[in-house]
Amino acid sequence: MSKRNDITRRLGELLAERGADRYSCEVSEEETHEFNVENGGFSLLRTVFSTDVSLRVFLGRKMGKAGGNDVSEDGLASLADSAIATAASAEEDPAWDLAPDQGRETVSRGPMTPDMDGLFTRTTELLDTIARDYPEIAVTRCMTKYTRGHSLYTNTNGTMLDESRGLYDIMLEFAGRAGEKTTSLNYVYFLTDRLDVPFIGQSDLRQNLENTRGSLRAENLPGKFEGTAILMPECLESFLWSLISIYASDQVIMDGTSPWLDRVGEQVAHEALTLSLTPSDPRIMDGERHTAGGFWSEDCTLIEKGVLKAHMLSLYAANKTGRPVMKNTGFSLAVTPGEKSLDDMIRGVKKGILVGYFSGGEPASNGEFSGIAKNSFLIEDGRLAGALSETMINGNLEKVFRHIAGISREVRANGQTLLPWVAVDGVVISGK
Amino acid sequence: MLEGSFIDLSRLFRDGEQTVLRANELRTRRVVLLNGELIQNQRSGSRGVSALVCRNGSRGFASTGSVSAGEAERVLRSAAENAAFLSRNAPRDLPKLPACPKRRIDAKREIIDTPQRTLIDGVRALDAFVAGLPGLVSRRVFYYEDSQEKWICTSDACDGHVTIPRCYFYVEMNAEAKDGSTVSIMQAYGGLGGFTEQFADLSRLYDGIRTQHGWLMDKREGVYAQAGLKTVVMGGDLTGMLAHEAVGHTTEADLVLGGSVAGTNLNKPVASPLISLVDYAHTVSGGEAPLPLLLDDEGIPAEDAWIIRDGILTGYMNNRESAARFGVTPAGNARAWDYSDEPLVRMRNTAILPGRDKLSDMIASLDDGYYLLVTGNGQADATGEFMFGINMGYEVKNGKLGRAILDTTVSGVAFEMLKTVDMVSDELVWTSNGFCGKKQPMPVGCGGPALRCRMTIGGR
Repeated sequence: MSKRNDITRRLGELLAERGADRYSCEVSEEETHEFNVENGGFSLLRTVFSTDVSLRVFLGRKMGKAGGNDVSEDGLASLADSAIATAASAEEDPAWDLAPDQGRETVSRGPMTPDMDGLFTRTTELLDTIARDYPEIAVTRCMTKYTRGHSLYTNTNGTMLDESRGLYDIMLEFAGRAGEKTTSLNYVYFLTDRLDVPFIGQSDLRQNLENTRGSLRAENLPGKFEGTAILMPECLESFLWSLISIYASDQVIMDGTSPWLDRVGEQVAHEALTLSLTPSDPRIMDGERHTAGGFWSEDCTLIEKGVLKAHMLSLYAANKTGRPVMKNTGFSLAVTPGEKSLDDMIRGVKKGILVGYFSGGEPASNGEFSGIAKNSFLIEDGRLAGALSETMINGNLEKVFRHIAGISREVRANGQTLLPWVAVDGVVISGK
Repeated sequence: MLEGSFIDLSRLFRDGEQTVLRANELRTRRVVLLNGELIQNQRSGSRGVSALVCRNGSRGFASTGSVSAGEAERVLRSAAENAAFLSRNAPRDLPKLPACPKRRIDAKREIIDTPQRTLIDGVRALDAFVAGLPGLVSRRVFYYEDSQEKWICTSDACDGHVTIPRCYFYVEMNAEAKDGSTVSIMQAYGGLGGFTEQFADLSRLYDGIRTQHGWLMDKREGVYAQAGLKTVVMGGDLTGMLAHEAVGHTTEADLVLGGSVAGTNLNKPVASPLISLVDYAHTVSGGEAPLPLLLDDEGIPAEDAWIIRDGILTGYMNNRESAARFGVTPAGNARAWDYSDEPLVRMRNTAILPGRDKLSDMIASLDDGYYLLVTGNGQADATGEFMFGINMGYEVKNGKLGRAILDTTVSGVAFEMLKTVDMVSDELVWTSNGFCGKKQPMPVGCGGPALRCRMTIGGR
């Protein structure tokens, strides 16, 4: 029997002794080995062994959460005491609940043994390839790591998920450099479960390296205009999370301030947009397996051909509002790709901007956004007309997603999300 | 609580290695009310031991989530193996780090745990006050605290005990704007210490909350700012964000070595002569800094780091390795958040120093500009380009406050923008509730006076 099983069993005994009616318990054990590279040299090799416990405890309809990592007998007793005291201090709320019994599952994915020599070789190869193919690029930070995780989720309704996962993470931070000139920092992150493919060709790394190299000749944009913004996947991802937060998340539905409060079944975006969460897609490496409330996570569609299908509600928010629960509390965003190539999308833009990523204040609760278009390029008459510096973009989230001008057939699959390039009209682009 | 006996484990260290052993405990507490309903109620903790070993210029780190002499031996062994791996496969030609005279530096504060019931009662009491304010369509009142406790044991630097507890109430108010949409402002109230120390008398928060409410009522009638380069008066909160994001990050030594704009500007004018900027360790003007630090996570005593003096860039923030590279003495900027995190170069309490001008005179001097008050987030780049979100501000016309403005973003290039500063107020304002994000979160203090300057405002 695993250590996780022993911890879970003992916590069950301790919670029962203390009067818990129901509970969920998740015990996670992880081992991480991480190479850190700074400014051309391996600066650190880091190893972490961790065991974490997360409890959600019910005393009648009072709920409290507690977490810790001290799994000694005293530590578990203290954690149980803390969870019980937290629950006891709460008020009764019938909206707190656990999902019904989902059954028992054991799943395993990815390599369970780290190949640190292989990871070191691929890391060195990546840095050498960048130095050779992109001599103007300076890698300021690179982190490559292997993580093996085992988690056991159980609850008193009978659900049990025993999950094992092995993954490699790659994070690269880089800038263009020529003499004293330096570009903005750019970032690429992806997951993989294999080391037999060089890192350089994965995700949208090469495209970002090219864009950063091009940014060495960035110029200010004079004046301002309204045009088309082609959002690269990294930018699209931040816009979509802001959209969900402002229009479809727990808080704005519970407090009634969402502009989409009563718009399920209505057109809220362009018919080209289908937005989903797809943890079961084989290209997603770290998909959620169970929700916080104890459901098995499912692939869910929030917007289908521009029509709002559901709000992204947890079990608590669903019970609170009487609306359907979304059986997904994860992060595996996917947008259905289009038919045009990215090159054709650029050719279709009279005047606009290609946006690498967005750096701005949180969009307002009415969807208004304003911020810097980082790693961006001017588009004129269907061609990239030069890299831009100190350029801002402004608009309204709901409005731009109603005015989609195109979605690429290319998709960035970085192991966490599946996102294409999306062109949106109605963006105000302003220079210094 | 962690045991003090941990500090005596240097007998486990090996010759020829520079070693830091750290026992680390992190605790957080959170209670959230949404329109009076309790939607979050949680307590969590994380404790463990880590070892950082440097041998022949190669560094290895290891950590585990148990605190004992046996686990300390385990992580020391693992960290040494990691250092050896890098030494074999990717050696670096670095000199041995200069030793630091050994002494014991101990924390001045205790960490006091408050029962969850007390926290919930406190949030309920404050929520009741907020609920009585007119014109709100929704409100969220929440309490958050975190506390860090560390025992540091080193081979060739100082040993000691570090405690940094802090706690805050956050009040988010929402109102209906004239176009039917929702406008919002969130503010934090609190600081160093535990719940009882900060919030024994909640009525001390009422004036600030009433001011926040007044701003929200003005924002209901708000207009969009005009985009472009404008003359603005930034409130102290924003100046603190500027000091941290636009200047602070570019002067962290790891970013300097990575090519940040600060690297080519040492000993050169980078700001108006009215500007001086310091990363304070523990004391400001004879009093405690917002989040005082006496000892960093490499065992280096924490001292102030002067970054800009009278407009001249005079220094960077370092860890032991970067300080050795630059030929300076480290000032205690190496910090880690959790037991599993390695120390990185981080800020502590970063502020632009106050000047002589009165805020009222600064606003009166604007013919056509903005007075910017509240920010929620910010980001900076190695080029010095920065942005931060503005959640509250006012038009200023002919020296008088006008209409409130709706949410927008301001941006600029730090060393260009700072050269436009021509007035600096005489009052220093601090915030300490935020987190700096740089691989790991880190509590930081940010401070500043009001500044009059030119910056780019986003908008249609």
